[in-house]
Amino acid sequence: MAGPAHPDAMAPSKPGKTRTAPPQMPASWWSHPRIRTYLAFDATGIVYLLLGLVALRVVWALGAGPEVWDATIASLSNPLYILFHVIGLVSVLFVGVRFFGFFPKAQPPRIGPAKPPPQPVILAGLYAAWLGVTLLFAAILGGWIF
Amino acid sequence: MKHFLLRIEPVIWLLFGQGLLIGTMLLTGWILVVGLAAPLGLVDAAALSFDRAHALASNIVGRLVLAALIVLPLWKGAHHMRHLSIDFRGADRDVVVAPVLYAVATIGSLLGILAVVRL
Amino acid sequence: MGEPTKTFVITRFDPDKDEVPKTQEYEIPVEADWKVLDAINFIKDEVDPSISHRWSCRMAVCGSCGMMVDGEPKLTCKTALSDYGDRVTVEPLANFPIVRDLVTELEGFMEKFQRVKPWVIRAKEDAGAADSKPPMNDKGTFVQSPAELAEFKQFSMCINCMLCYAACPVVANEAEFLGPAAIALGHRYNLDSRDQGQDERNEIFRDEGTVFSCSFANECSEVCPKNVDPAAAVNQAKFGAVIDWATSLVLPRASAGRRGEQGGK
Repeated sequence: MAGPAHPDAMAPSKPGKTRTAPPQMPASWWSHPRIRTYLAFDATGIVYLLLGLVALRVVWALGAGPEVWDATIASLSNPLYILFHVIGLVSVLFVGVRFFGFFPKAQPPRIGPAKPPPQPVILAGLYAAWLGVTLLFAAILGGWIF
Repeated sequence: MKHFLLRIEPVIWLLFGQGLLIGTMLLTGWILVVGLAAPLGLVDAAALSFDRAHALASNIVGRLVLAALIVLPLWKGAHHMRHLSIDFRGADRDVVVAPVLYAVATIGSLLGILAVVRL
Repeated sequence: MGEPTKTFVITRFDPDKDEVPKTQEYEIPVEADWKVLDAINFIKDEVDPSISHRWSCRMAVCGSCGMMVDGEPKLTCKTALSDYGDRVTVEPLANFPIVRDLVTELEGFMEKFQRVKPWVIRAKEDAGAADSKPPMNDKGTFVQSPAELAEFKQFSMCINCMLCYAACPVVANEAEFLGPAAIALGHRYNLDSRDQGQDERNEIFRDEGTVFSCSFANECSEVCPKNVDPAAAVNQAKFGAVIDWATSLVLPRASAGRRGEQGGK
């Protein structure tokens, strides 16, 4: 076992007739590849929070005038920023693949009278939207269109 | 505090979900160009010049997209960090961790909205 | 000699004697077609009758023989021994208090189970006018089409083996969490065309032990021996609970005797 679970996990509101040993975490908790993937997925939260704050910094600079903007854009060439954005890209791709994979089955079979499309169609739509949004957004930001 | 966290859970979950969905879609292109291609010199410097960036960002669509780009990842991040804290035997400290994370996301969101409004 | 053997490392805990659980090893001859449960039954019958474990049907229907086999929750009657090495660790289900040896305390699960009101709830007669659900027919039953059945059938296949609770990282860390099987069962009734209890269950889903505690690790669905896919149910339940919450903001609940939703923040 990989150590104790929460001492009250699955405990009844009134104790039973005999004393019980405290609940344990599954032995596979840290070591299993699925669990590590899951923990990595939760850990991308740190990266997303930082990505949001960096986006805030950049947009804030755009409102602060040309000098601040140029300095901010120049600062993104710092190797640490590049490294952070490489980690960010890996995180975003990982989150997209895992979350979009789960997304179709989380759709209720019916919301009122409306039925969602079949799961493979939802999945294909998500990937198409992801690709489309990325290409469009990148093309606009990179000056290839507009 | 526990009761308050329960009350706001649906709102948090909606913002978190949109962070996963829209946040991921917007961040991919953003990171590719602003985070990587431009700093590595793969993009014409004029593309991210102040004048062009300001013109692109200051219309209504630009403002909305940038607001989403800032706000949604913050909530996805805060909520996932809360889950991560709970994964590491953190249920009992959650009454402190969750409000702090959501406070960061709230302040960041307000600043983000201010940032796009003042463009 | 020549007969294949395997060593079983089995958790032992006697509440009258042991401070904490310990392990005991048994080396026994095994047959090629054995399930893990066959080996434990062999040990109990032929080697050490003091071992306590639960089992009944031996055909993956009763849901009582769930144990941790090499650290993963398994229905031992459905788990081929040939998939494991020479040393097999068998422990009681993780995340449950241990009563004795391989037997866990189920009362906490039963309490969570009952909280989601796993039965068909019908509105009071006086509310019948606004009622869109089918009324009872003259045989005293409800008519349900195959399409309506198909909407929830998968979630009704749960055998309450509790493997999903042993696998869930949120159950392990957050004692209040309703957990996969209970939420899946509540959601199954929310999807049932005969049921009118969605408001009540969605309030329970947003209350203590909320469905939103689920972090979609998907472990419940990975270990489910009946392909119920509890993770799908729990996350559909989140959608349902959010939609119900949003509607309750716009259209305050008229039904008497229940507290109305006051809104979000």
